[in-house]
Amino acid sequence: MNQIKNYLYENKQSAIYLLLLSLLMGGAIVVQAYLLVTIIDGAFLKDWSFQETIPLLAVLFFILLARSFIPFISGKIGIRLGTSAKSHFRKQLLSHFANNPVQASLKGQSGQKVSLMMDAIDEVDSYFSSYIPQVIRSSVIPLIILIVVFTEHVNSGLIMLITSPFIPLFMVIIGMQTKKKSEEQMEELAAFSGRFLDTLQGLVTLKLFGKAKQQKKVIQTSSLRFRDATMEILKVAFTSSFMLELISMLAIGLVALEVALQLIVFDGIAFFTAFLVLVLAPEYFTSLRQLGTAFHNGKSSMGAAKKVAEELALEEDSAVIWGEKPFSKPEGPASLELQQVTFQYGEDAFTLHPMSTTFAPKSKNAIVGKTGSGKSTLLHLLAGIVVPDAGKILLGGNPLSAYKEADWFAQLSYISQHPYIFAGTIAENIAIGSRETATREAITRAAEEAGLADMIMALENGYDTHVGEGGRGLSGGEKQRLALARAFLKQPAIVLFDEPTTGLDLKTERILQASIQKLSETATIITVAHRLHTIKDADHILYLDQGRLIAEGTHAQLLEHAEGYRKMVTIQRGGLQR
Amino acid sequence: MKELTSIMRMMMKEKKDIVLSIILGFIAGLAAVLLFSASGYLISKAAFAPPFYTLMLVIASVKLLSFIRAFSRYGERYVSHRGTFTMLSQLRMAFYEKLEPLAPGIFQKYRSGDLLSRIVGDVESLQNLFLRVVYPPIVLALVFMSTIFFTMFYSIETAVILFGGFLLTAIVIPAIFAARQRTIDSKVRLKRAALSTEVTELLYGFRDLKIYQQLDNKEKQLLQASDTYITEQEQEEKTTLFNQSLNQFVSLLVTVAVLAVGAYLIDTGELDGIFLAMLIMITLTVFEDAPAMAVFPIHFNDSRRSAKRLFSIMEQKDGQEQEHVAQTLTINEPPEITLENVSFTFTGEERRAVEQVDVHLPSGSKTALVGASGSGKSTLMQLMLYLVAPEQGRVMINGIELAHVDEESIWQLANVVLQENHFFYGTIRDNLLLANDTATDEELQSILAMVQLEHFHLEDKVYERGENLSGGEKQRLAIARAMLKGGSFWVLDEPTSSLDAVTEQAIYDHLFRQAADDTVVLISHRLAGLETMDQIIVMDEGKVVEVGTFTELMEKQGYFYEMKELENNLL
Repeated sequence: MNQIKNYLYENKQSAIYLLLLSLLMGGAIVVQAYLLVTIIDGAFLKDWSFQETIPLLAVLFFILLARSFIPFISGKIGIRLGTSAKSHFRKQLLSHFANNPVQASLKGQSGQKVSLMMDAIDEVDSYFSSYIPQVIRSSVIPLIILIVVFTEHVNSGLIMLITSPFIPLFMVIIGMQTKKKSEEQMEELAAFSGRFLDTLQGLVTLKLFGKAKQQKKVIQTSSLRFRDATMEILKVAFTSSFMLELISMLAIGLVALEVALQLIVFDGIAFFTAFLVLVLAPEYFTSLRQLGTAFHNGKSSMGAAKKVAEELALEEDSAVIWGEKPFSKPEGPASLELQQVTFQYGEDAFTLHPMSTTFAPKSKNAIVGKTGSGKSTLLHLLAGIVVPDAGKILLGGNPLSAYKEADWFAQLSYISQHPYIFAGTIAENIAIGSRETATREAITRAAEEAGLADMIMALENGYDTHVGEGGRGLSGGEKQRLALARAFLKQPAIVLFDEPTTGLDLKTERILQASIQKLSETATIITVAHRLHTIKDADHILYLDQGRLIAEGTHAQLLEHAEGYRKMVTIQRGGLQR
Repeated sequence: MKELTSIMRMMMKEKKDIVLSIILGFIAGLAAVLLFSASGYLISKAAFAPPFYTLMLVIASVKLLSFIRAFSRYGERYVSHRGTFTMLSQLRMAFYEKLEPLAPGIFQKYRSGDLLSRIVGDVESLQNLFLRVVYPPIVLALVFMSTIFFTMFYSIETAVILFGGFLLTAIVIPAIFAARQRTIDSKVRLKRAALSTEVTELLYGFRDLKIYQQLDNKEKQLLQASDTYITEQEQEEKTTLFNQSLNQFVSLLVTVAVLAVGAYLIDTGELDGIFLAMLIMITLTVFEDAPAMAVFPIHFNDSRRSAKRLFSIMEQKDGQEQEHVAQTLTINEPPEITLENVSFTFTGEERRAVEQVDVHLPSGSKTALVGASGSGKSTLMQLMLYLVAPEQGRVMINGIELAHVDEESIWQLANVVLQENHFFYGTIRDNLLLANDTATDEELQSILAMVQLEHFHLEDKVYERGENLSGGEKQRLAIARAMLKGGSFWVLDEPTSSLDAVTEQAIYDHLFRQAADDTVVLISHRLAGLETMDQIIVMDEGKVVEVGTFTELMEKQGYFYEMKELENNLL
């Protein structure tokens, strides 16, 4: 809310223009009424000849031109205000999403966030494009009309003055409801978006489980709830315009009755005055009534703005805070050291117990252990995308957090098990690895090193094949190799690797081995290892169990000393037994 | 145009609301005209000090008309919006219903952010089709005609001017704008979809964008997309404003014309001066809603575009459905699967993913599918489940061709674990109940224990797409889901690839005990442990190169033997 007010304050110049235009508009309305009434009075009662009315008709023409032109200009100012407001708020929301820590980014449904970004921001528009200009108009024009009516005929002025407070009164009552209802409406829309997007991703799963029809009901309920929320807010809007319309119609009727009585019974006023009042009264109430409608829009905008503000205010918990220390490869990959590092996901969730170890520069490290032993968590910590609860991660003897974020990520490759493939060509997806624009040769080489070249060449469009959403689907193994190609292109100092586990053909396997070997000449490699040969070749193996570092050393050392490790290797050798 | 007709057809389901909206709108419009004409007449009449009762009559009718106007206006708005939003809700469902059978192929053509934008943005914008395009012109025309008819009794000339004004503001000017609108192709819908798509991708690919330091770029891109969208919106708003202001001016001119002609006619004595005020009031009122007609072409075009974007998806032919004579499968024993000379090519690829494959899985048999990645194992599995249709050859279940079987009855049989399994935003319980919603909490807990996830609580939160679960946890949860389902056809695509050997073995123990009598296909990347399978199918480059038991294949010393040798060497 304050954001809206602040924003408005920054744009007060526009408000001044709007005020000036409203004054002009008020003037035009009054002059138009005078002219109309004078002409009719002249033609009807004063027996003017047609020639006498012509100059007045000409003036009326120009006044009407002004009446059409002034709203056009103020409309434009409104549009400009709304446009820049949307841009401003969307930018804020975007930078909020972009600066979210990874952990926070995973919470909530993406569809809801998209809805906030699209629908809620669009909804903010009408606050600036219609509410604000109307407020200014409606505080100026009725005042001008009222002054004119008072000078012409006090009784009518009194009737108008007495009946008008009902209008703002109803507006306040209704406005309070609207804001809340509009928040509900935004929530329902966001919920629908969230549900739809999640369902869309899981359609195959739903089909295979025979739940697609059932899910349809869920979507339908959500869709109907949105409809009902919309109708709720509209009902308020319609009731408000009904009340406003009724009040203003009754008031106009009262004014008409009073001037008619004055005219006949008391003979207190002239036809001219009576008719002028009768022409001005609807203008007066229309202006107030429009405020009612605009007020309603303004309040629903504020509801939407509140949703945006709520998201912006979400505290960015456990955000990784980075320092200013530079880090670059020429200095050689530095050692990575864990000192009593612990981490816990929420209460009584998985815990990583105090862990200390050192990864030497340019070493090949393997992390092994049962699932749930904390391998992925360890990788996240090392990547610097989650912060340890206690203990230190040191890079070259300095805390990791002392370095510049950009420098660190520039020297890091993280190949997760499910890398995200962006909608675009294969070449573009590989090029993401490098911050500079990569040449086609470099991209091709990276793909070869990752063992992806054969597969790409078999495609009709080769490197220009569209993949990701809206393109060709890639298998799990292909996705990982694509991520690996990104790493080869990047040539980082540290590679974190959640080892691919899908079956590779032997040729590809060999290519990969050689490439990773090459990569390790200039980089520290830390692999969550599944395959024995990776484990065997490692300089340093960490054996984890239930969040604890049970043993570390070379393959031979561990075989000798760690019983769990020995058992694991034996089973993998022997294979599964049913 | 065709798209709009389809939407109109859907609209006709709310026929009652449409008719009611028109009637109420007509009453409201007419009441306003009568109200103001009565007050104009009243004031003129009053100037001549008429008998008091005539005045009271007019005043009473003014009051009555005010009430009628306010009530009918409320009714019109309420009914028309109720009809519209019910229709939109139905449209959203119709869209989803069409979308559902198109998965998974749909994602190779459309991006989810775009689809989201269609079901929300485009559907929402269609509200204008009814609220601004379809019924208001009818109401406007009706009110105008009645008013013109009414004015004819007082002044033919005024009636003619009103008619001319109506033609100009409601038909000629909108038509000119419509012609102009057709040349400036508004891209609001497209730009909105583009932004929505990009935002969705930012959220989905967040971690990778962060690690690759591409967030800044993406943010810049998004800002640009947002700015183009906003600019398009601004353009449309400006056009709307211009059209409306121009039409407003024209309708005000009509008032001047009526006034001038009236003054002239009074001067020549052809019109009784008492009616002039009334005629002016009528003109001012009847043209109040006319400027809105200038916006008609914009909404019309906008609706057409939205409808087109919706129907381009809704009219996608999914090749599978055409020759589909759905036959529900009733199978009590584990199914027998046969593939005869089956081939399949992915669109845009030269090489066949599966080429002339013959495979037989007897009822209750255990089959392993092995081969390098990219050798066509997963595609073969998709063919067996009829997730994709063969381009050549036949896939049969118990001798019946899958093309003739209701797909859902195939899926009902199957317990599937895919390479990548989707988990929905919710709890562990929600995600398990998907497989069998009658399962009790105890059953769910015991299944979780079988896949060594006993430390999970059923209430534990699952983030969207299971983002808070590790690879191994996802796989085990997927296996748990398959075990809960209770079908007799197991299709497992590298279900344990992220699991360590110890866990894998324990889970397989449970799984194969449960599946003892069922038909099982297992795609495996580990060759060790396949000794007990009934048959092993070895694939290479889309073809079946060897079939046999473990011992047979080892004795044959062919492709499988070579693979096994290499695996042994690596160990």
